[in-house]
Amino acid sequence: MDLTLVVLLFASLSAATAALGVGPFALNRRVPLTQIGLANGVAAGMMLGAAYGLLLASFARGLTAVAAGALLGILFVAWTHAASGTDELDLNRLEGGSDAYGYQVLLVNSLHSGSEGVAIGVAMAVSQPFGIFMALAIAVHNVPEATVLCAILTARGVRPASAAGLAVAANVSQILLAVVTYAIVRAAPGVLPWALGFAIGGLVQLVMSELLPESYRQTGHRSIALVTIVAMGIVVLLRGVVP
Amino acid sequence: MNPVLVVFLYGLITALATGLGALPFVFLRNVSPRAVASANAIAGGLMLGASFGIVAEGTGYGAWQTLVGGLAGVVFILLTQRWVGDEDVPLVAAPAANARRMTLIVIVMTVHSFAEGVAVGVSFGGGATLALAITIAIAVHNVPEGLAISAVLRPRGSTVLACVAWSIFSSLPQPLMAVPAFLFVDAFQKALPYGLGFAAGAMVFMVLEELLPEAYDRASRSRVAILVSITLVAMVLFQQTL
Repeated sequence: MDLTLVVLLFASLSAATAALGVGPFALNRRVPLTQIGLANGVAAGMMLGAAYGLLLASFARGLTAVAAGALLGILFVAWTHAASGTDELDLNRLEGGSDAYGYQVLLVNSLHSGSEGVAIGVAMAVSQPFGIFMALAIAVHNVPEATVLCAILTARGVRPASAAGLAVAANVSQILLAVVTYAIVRAAPGVLPWALGFAIGGLVQLVMSELLPESYRQTGHRSIALVTIVAMGIVVLLRGVVP
Repeated sequence: MNPVLVVFLYGLITALATGLGALPFVFLRNVSPRAVASANAIAGGLMLGASFGIVAEGTGYGAWQTLVGGLAGVVFILLTQRWVGDEDVPLVAAPAANARRMTLIVIVMTVHSFAEGVAVGVSFGGGATLALAITIAIAVHNVPEGLAISAVLRPRGSTVLACVAWSIFSSLPQPLMAVPAFLFVDAFQKALPYGLGFAAGAMVFMVLEELLPEAYDRASRSRVAILVSITLVAMVLFQQTL
């Protein structure tokens, strides 16, 4: 199979798994705020594990370019938050908020999945097994992340089926950026350390600015720390198994 | 010179280098809540970055052993927190909470130096010509660790001298552990992945449970996130250049 098609296939799979996040709401369950925090903790830990894998892959590839790329990735995510006015938005509200709140959260999720797409694309360019590992890690990560999104959307009156569809739609930019990143790095291999750095910086910045801050307040320091470190440990360990 | 003495002296040099990390705080007098939060974020990023490097090294010796060590490190922090007093009591006096966090960071960083000391001793076994290169690498690598400790101690009222002293103290296990590790390389090499995992688990858990939540409480999350992200990546890449 053409390698670009492999990227397309796995990035699409990763985006599609977001639909699974609607599970509890399809069964008409309410998810309390404390469990929303735990879902974010799992997503955060897996993303830190993914960043660790990318960092290992970046060693011996021109550290200056990796560092510069990482700075760009960090600033890009920070800038998208600031420019869209979502940098201080509480991302886990189930009640209240303005009419625009649901759209703002959807926007944040769509921007967020762009950096994930870069991570999948660049990992595929490093090696196919590593790329598939990264796509699967992001796919699993997308489930708790989509649960948080679906909790917010269903609390605002969106039907579960529509919430599942919107969760997948918010991840479409992931497919696009995975394929584009892969194509660019294949055409110009010199870009690889930059793209690796960009993905590393972007993922860490997403964890630190979106996934962790509110979860600590909602669920408690110790629970979040435990869930995050366990999720991270599992991804780090699995990374050791992948060739 | 006696090779054991050389290992000890080189280990001592690396410990003293940790004290250099306190020096930026000669100029830092502002201890507003936001400055404390920034210092927490910087310390957190440096410790996360250091842990990434340690895990990468540990899994090179054995992935499962590193994982077991990591779990033990998390349990160790939970027990230490119980021992220094649980913070989840509301309305706890600020000085008590500060003293608790200061004690924890010194304990965590000191414990992590044990594993580093073993790593130094084991790598010294690789040949005398490598010794100086390794010493310089570890010494430079220790400077940001002193910075991490001082970033927690200094905004909570420690003098610069105390920051230097505690930074060096936290690295004293390096010369102490390097010598036996050098003498009994084979035995210590088997224990190394457990020790490295332990150090990483303890550091990451301390960052996630203590440093980050406090930083988010006192400064905007974008500010905290940028500081953590930049220092994390910088620490990992910096240690790779050594």
